[in-house]
Amino acid sequence: MYKNNVSFFLILFFMASVIWSQESATNDTKGDEILKKVDENLMPVSFESYRKLINEEPDGSKKEFIFFTVKKDKDKVAMLYVSPASEKGRATLRLGDNMWLYIPNVGKPIRITSMQSVVGGVFNNADIMRLEYSVEYDATILEQNDSQYILNLKAKTQTIAYDNLKMWVDKKNTMVTKVECYAASGTLIKTLEFKEIKNFGDGIMRPAVIETSSPLYKGYRSLMIYSQMKPRKLPDEVFTLEYLSKLGDLR
Amino acid sequence: MRFIKSVFLVILFAFIFTGAFSQEYDFEIPEEEEAKIEFNGNLDAKWGILKTRESSPFFGLQFYDLSEKDDYLSQYRLDFYLDGVYRHKQIGLFMKTFYQYAKEEPLSPSFFELYGSLNFSPRLSMSIGKRRFNWGKGYVFNPVGYVNAEKDPENPDLALAGKTSIYFSYNKSFNSDVLQNFSMGAILLPPEAEINDKFGSADKIGVALKLYFLLKNMDIDLMAAFKKDEPQRLGLDFSTNLRENLEIHAEFSYAQDETKHLVNDGSVTQHKMDGGSYMLGLRYLNRSNTTLIAEYYHNNIGLSKKEFTSYINYLGNSLKSNNPELINSARLNMSNIFRSKTLMQDYLYLKLIQPEPFSWLYSSISVFTIYNLVDNSFLVSPQLSYKPYTNFEVLLWPFLFFGGNDTEYGSKQFEKKIELWMRFYF
Repeated sequence: MYKNNVSFFLILFFMASVIWSQESATNDTKGDEILKKVDENLMPVSFESYRKLINEEPDGSKKEFIFFTVKKDKDKVAMLYVSPASEKGRATLRLGDNMWLYIPNVGKPIRITSMQSVVGGVFNNADIMRLEYSVEYDATILEQNDSQYILNLKAKTQTIAYDNLKMWVDKKNTMVTKVECYAASGTLIKTLEFKEIKNFGDGIMRPAVIETSSPLYKGYRSLMIYSQMKPRKLPDEVFTLEYLSKLGDLR
Repeated sequence: MRFIKSVFLVILFAFIFTGAFSQEYDFEIPEEEEAKIEFNGNLDAKWGILKTRESSPFFGLQFYDLSEKDDYLSQYRLDFYLDGVYRHKQIGLFMKTFYQYAKEEPLSPSFFELYGSLNFSPRLSMSIGKRRFNWGKGYVFNPVGYVNAEKDPENPDLALAGKTSIYFSYNKSFNSDVLQNFSMGAILLPPEAEINDKFGSADKIGVALKLYFLLKNMDIDLMAAFKKDEPQRLGLDFSTNLRENLEIHAEFSYAQDETKHLVNDGSVTQHKMDGGSYMLGLRYLNRSNTTLIAEYYHNNIGLSKKEFTSYINYLGNSLKSNNPELINSARLNMSNIFRSKTLMQDYLYLKLIQPEPFSWLYSSISVFTIYNLVDNSFLVSPQLSYKPYTNFEVLLWPFLFFGGNDTEYGSKQFEKKIELWMRFYF
């Protein structure tokens, strides 16, 4: 009798484990699928755009930058500083985990890290030169209700700027509405809010404003505003160190 | 009926003829394509107070003609940089000019850069003219900088003059996880016009080559430089990110028949040497947003402590002689042969940068030191930068030099100096 009971519980445990692991795998797959859809809705495969970045300080003063950005595939981004005059001609390049900054006076690209901020304020290089989320993170569904998913994103490698992200996704249009960025210690580093869904033409409909704040920078606020985004075919060679000083040719 | 037929035929003929004409000779008026011309630049107003070091032979020689030597000197100057770019389709023209105003006299521009470029495709391009190249991964030291203008380690971000050159570049990307990008740059360096100020000797044309590989997230360059009667050089550098906040870089250069100058018994002698110079460096960012840059440099033809002492004794003895001929000769050797900013063998550079310290908006503080590991002399330089308005920056920049009388930094012309910069961008 005792032996039968043990066998019964073992079989039950085995079946529960199989069902749980299958559910977990399904959850992972579903999370990654949602994340891919979020990426597709945020950016076309290959495009150019103009963005304004505004850093607002606690005393109300502002600093503004305008960037010309080109992106191709999942992991290639290049960006040229158009204004102000003190930054004009600077260019940054991101290829996967690699980032470089070109300063005209220095005359060569230097490697920078994703945690640095070349413009100051709350946005760091990883925020400004964002790749598709699914390139850097694995997603699982943390919770969901009728209107939204909450995804948990875990960094695929140690070189990613944030170890963990918590992402809110609108079920209606699979559009990201909010992202919380966490360090490996679990500390909240910053919050990004995606606002003002705008039709940019060519089938591109996405939030035009990203607002960020951070408990580490109390009273500071940074905004990234997209004014133009259009698909553009670009050769791979545009996304190289050799081409960084020539990015202005594309405008 | 015949009349109608004739009219119809005439109309048909006319229609066909004019139609054919319009097809053959018609054209669309092209939209006017805008050529882009852009200018920008900056004006630096600099004022400095310098505490002289009268015991220094460098000071004695530089200010030999002064009958009365002051403990403190003041310096005021305006540096004006004007950059211009013209772009039209595949063609580009670039210039970077520099004017310095220190006293009322006619200003003449220096062209730091003036070149034309042609982009045959995103992969292939060339340029002709005076252009600045900056080879190597080091922030301060570049042993592989065969075509670079010599950097001042005290201000490595300063704009510098380029070299007259013909440059070809080929660039190719790959969809591979191993080799992601390859580029090749070839530079021809015509010699300076020595003959009637117009011609140079054709066999003195220099050649420099660089191969670049982005290999497994690592930048790797292989370089070579050849020129008649000059050392043959081969070099290698790399840089990569070990973590999201840590980057490492290094350079190694091997030179054959490199000339080392020494002072023996009061005269300058030349020695040919083979050997390697190298640099190791890192850039680290901590959670408080403080950046550390560290670089170690070994200079194969740098002077040892004993050799530097011989050199400084030679300068001191020339000065004491009061012989104008010896003094002029020492001055020439000082400014031509021993003019390198890294004259000795081993240096360590450390820099800490903290943006917006104590939540002070738009400010940045930094401090760097260049430590001469051979004679234990060093300089320390804190810097305060403040950008209260867009396109305006003010800098307060002291320099302090430490070391014994016979050491590199302890024998500088000045014991300390402080500069105030105001920089306007447009």
